[in-house]
Amino acid sequence: MKTVRVFFKKLGRMKFISHLDMTRFMSRLITKSQIPVWYTEGFNQHIYMNFALPLSLGFEGMYEILEIRLNDDEYSNEACLEALKRVSPPDIEFVRVAEPKMPMKDIAFAEFVLDFGDNISAIKEKLTEFLNRDSIICEKKGKKGKIKEIDIIPKIASFSFQNDKLVLCLTAGNEDNLNPSLVMDTFFAQTETEELFYSVTRTAILDKNKKIFE
Amino acid sequence: MDTKKFEALLLSVQKPGRYSGGEINSVIKDKQKVDVRFAFCFPDTYEIGMSHLGMKILYSQFNSREDIWCERVFAPWTDFEEVMRREKLPLFALESRDPIKDFDFIGFTLQYEMAYTNVLNMLDLAGVPLKSKDRKELSPLVVAGGPCACNPEPLADFVDIFFLGEGEEVDLEVIDLYKEHKKKGSSKEEFLKAAAKIEGVYVPSLYDLEYNPDGTIASLSAKGDTPKSVKKRIIKNLDKVYYPDSFVVPFIEIVHDRVVEEVFRGCIRGCRFCQAGFIYRPVREKSAETVNRQAKCLCENTGYDEISLSSLSTSDYREIEPLLSKMLDWTEKSHVSMALPSLRIDNFSEELLEKINHVRKSGLTFAPEAGTQRLRDVINKNVTEDEIINTCKMAFAGGYTAVKLYFMLGLPTETDEDLKGIADLGQKIVDTYYSMPNKPKGKSVSVSISVSTFVPKPFTPFQFEPQITEEEIRRRQEYLKSCITTRKISLSYHDSSTSFLEGVLARGDRRLGAVIEKAFLSGCRFDSWTECFNLEKWLAAFESCGISPEFYANRKREYSEINPWDHLDYAVTKSFLIKESKLAHSEQTTPNCREKCAGCGANCYGEGVCFENR
Repeated sequence: MKTVRVFFKKLGRMKFISHLDMTRFMSRLITKSQIPVWYTEGFNQHIYMNFALPLSLGFEGMYEILEIRLNDDEYSNEACLEALKRVSPPDIEFVRVAEPKMPMKDIAFAEFVLDFGDNISAIKEKLTEFLNRDSIICEKKGKKGKIKEIDIIPKIASFSFQNDKLVLCLTAGNEDNLNPSLVMDTFFAQTETEELFYSVTRTAILDKNKKIFE
Repeated sequence: MDTKKFEALLLSVQKPGRYSGGEINSVIKDKQKVDVRFAFCFPDTYEIGMSHLGMKILYSQFNSREDIWCERVFAPWTDFEEVMRREKLPLFALESRDPIKDFDFIGFTLQYEMAYTNVLNMLDLAGVPLKSKDRKELSPLVVAGGPCACNPEPLADFVDIFFLGEGEEVDLEVIDLYKEHKKKGSSKEEFLKAAAKIEGVYVPSLYDLEYNPDGTIASLSAKGDTPKSVKKRIIKNLDKVYYPDSFVVPFIEIVHDRVVEEVFRGCIRGCRFCQAGFIYRPVREKSAETVNRQAKCLCENTGYDEISLSSLSTSDYREIEPLLSKMLDWTEKSHVSMALPSLRIDNFSEELLEKINHVRKSGLTFAPEAGTQRLRDVINKNVTEDEIINTCKMAFAGGYTAVKLYFMLGLPTETDEDLKGIADLGQKIVDTYYSMPNKPKGKSVSVSISVSTFVPKPFTPFQFEPQITEEEIRRRQEYLKSCITTRKISLSYHDSSTSFLEGVLARGDRRLGAVIEKAFLSGCRFDSWTECFNLEKWLAAFESCGISPEFYANRKREYSEINPWDHLDYAVTKSFLIKESKLAHSEQTTPNCREKCAGCGANCYGEGVCFENR
């Protein structure tokens, strides 16, 4: 048995699919691809799947990672990639399959690109001022539905504007995770700016040294 | 609408995956290269519509033809409808996102009466005039099929063509005829007249009705050389007819999220309340080889890990045990589980139970339908209490601890004694469990009793019966509740007012068209959803049209009365239904088709169970 990571992009129409639906979808796609995938051995046997970092509904992802296990050690990564490509819908793009290089717990940051279209000029200045504050206190719903106050500034590792799009590097992972929607919701609320539509693409998953997570 | 704007709108509603399209196995074609575009509309949510087998079959079959592009359309939920109306976004097909008003066909499948306002709402959202007579051009043609097409009269004002019976052949014949007429530049009227000559095609606008002073139908006449009566179509050989080799696999979870493999059509039983048991006659089976091959192929092409063997009564499939053995050969290896819905109590064998146990243990559900033997004889549900108890014993010994039982309330001749019988039967099952030495250790038993309200339907022996009033439904529900004294039995029942409206629409005539339109205009839609259903609005619609709903639901109909569906021929004869109705009132049963032919008329096709070697 060997463990491999499948790197893929989640684009276009696929962004309307929630994480839970995504797990169901991937399990069917893997079955359809007929790769020699490993099943868990419990009472309710299912395909072992471990997504590096769930992606929120509505976001596109350029660097998504799914870990699976293969029964057949001889089965090549290339064959696995080809099999998956054969069955994938247009808006899922499989990029490569490779053995893990870092443990999942090393995930520390994720990079997001926020596209406001033509509206960017209207808010760029305000947004820069906002993100440069010393602290931004906002309310966050915890896992158990408890609302607590947090400061999001320490969770924003960096921000910049590239081609008139906002690039955010935010803490990510099981322990400490910041969703760009929370940053923007807080911005609109605290600066009394009218809410604008923007699209979000997650472009990278990084380790604590800001190296690409593999 | 441009993609960015559209996607932004989607993100503002619940479950955008309902509207996004792009699923695995969905069919994309070049619209320049097809002759006919068909919008296949299911008048309910995506999750319900995508679970429907008929739509999967016809979608794949139409698309197997190069000249046709069939796309799916579902009723938008109320939140997205609001967005669509605000943004002037016309109803679109999932695959191309093109507005369906420009399609050649807008086809609806009519699975239940409570979806009628959704049909109108979808036409309205599409920007298409609701009434057939207001749509002057040849296209879009509004067509409809499905079980409710057996009495399509309430929708006669809105639909151009109804398909009676099974669609695989007749739909394509009509599409081919349409292609010819489109090329010739025919008018809609010319086309409809020609289409009405195809067997199984009912064009309501070609029939005139006259009424008696008491509101019943006086006469029906066909215009010109239109056939006086329209006969439903069936597929004679299920091994040869088209069956999909793949299904569209939804991204979001739907109601029946699995491979559905049909094992036969029709039902041998003839339960007198059951419309499906009569309108799908005669029984025609697929061979075990075909079922096995198709199921395997579907699993491979979809990636589903569950198969449901579907029919009206799967344990009546003659080759069920060899089939299960054959399928277990590969399903276990590929981690696929099997589900067998619609099992019967009287032929549920230990071998069968063992085979099901092999794959996955879910709940066990049976449908005695009535609480006493007397009433079960009236409805021709030929199961005895001993059979029910024995089956439960077998199930308990096999490790089951939960049993679900389906019953109906308001059946013809029902008394309080029969209702008490439901509670008593539940209690006997509980007692049976505790009397068994080999019951599962340390576990309690749970018996769920689910009681729906009987609605008399066309083409059943009970089509003549009055439906009990809403007040009486509620009284009987309360009475039944008072009969249940243990917590081991849980009881659930249907809302009485939806059953009443369903009863009205099921046996309605053309005059209800005005009521449905009024109800729709006053905001009724998704009437089968309790959170949307509004009886007051419906009653107001009846009132303003001067129509009494009780006339349709609660009146006993004489055998001699002309019913709104009498000119439609579903093979089962009216004289047979009358004979069965009389037998019901004298509490006599009729043997099933395999024991003895009852002479219903379905042998006219020269196929099926009527010609099996007995």
